[in-house]
Amino acid sequence: MAGKFCVNLTHSKDNTDRATVGFVLANAALGSGKETLVFLSIEGVRLANKGFAESIHEEGFPPLRELMDNFAKGGGAIYVCSPCFKKRKLDENNLVAGATIVGGAKLVEFLSDGSPCVTF
Amino acid sequence: MDGFPSADVVWDAEDLACGVLLLKLRGRMETMRPGQVLQLVAHDAGAREDLPAWCRLTGHTLLSIEPPVYLIRRKEG
Repeated sequence: MAGKFCVNLTHSKDNTDRATVGFVLANAALGSGKETLVFLSIEGVRLANKGFAESIHEEGFPPLRELMDNFAKGGGAIYVCSPCFKKRKLDENNLVAGATIVGGAKLVEFLSDGSPCVTF
Repeated sequence: MDGFPSADVVWDAEDLACGVLLLKLRGRMETMRPGQVLQLVAHDAGAREDLPAWCRLTGHTLLSIEPPVYLIRRKEG
């Protein structure tokens, strides 16, 4: 059963529980054979910079860095909201594996054939 | 588990759950040949609902459920 799945992740250190569970669910989709996208927006874009997720380890879950690494190694894609990233003056030359800075059209394109999208 | 084939591969996933379990499970299955059987030991309470759903999604065959032990046959191709 092919298909796509999108997780819109809007948090990072401002809500580590949401940030962590978002990637856990993304890994569940990827592990279930879905072409999976994590769209980082709002505060979630901070996760796109290498090192930022290092200190996030929610009780009862693997470290966020490990979840993100496994997602990228498994072929998951990470889109990073360009204006959200730019607003926070983050470093576009220091992105984590699998991350690409995009505008809204890329997300719309991914979703346009009916892909489900959940937001954390 | 009388009546079911013996496992070709045994994996004790211990307390792994949800996406962590499923992504590692996908990796395990990819190392197996079509038709081979995995005996998975998964202690997470959610596994008994998640693993049947995962098999429906991926096309692998769930041969038996006796939590925490699950027998899964790798799909062809």
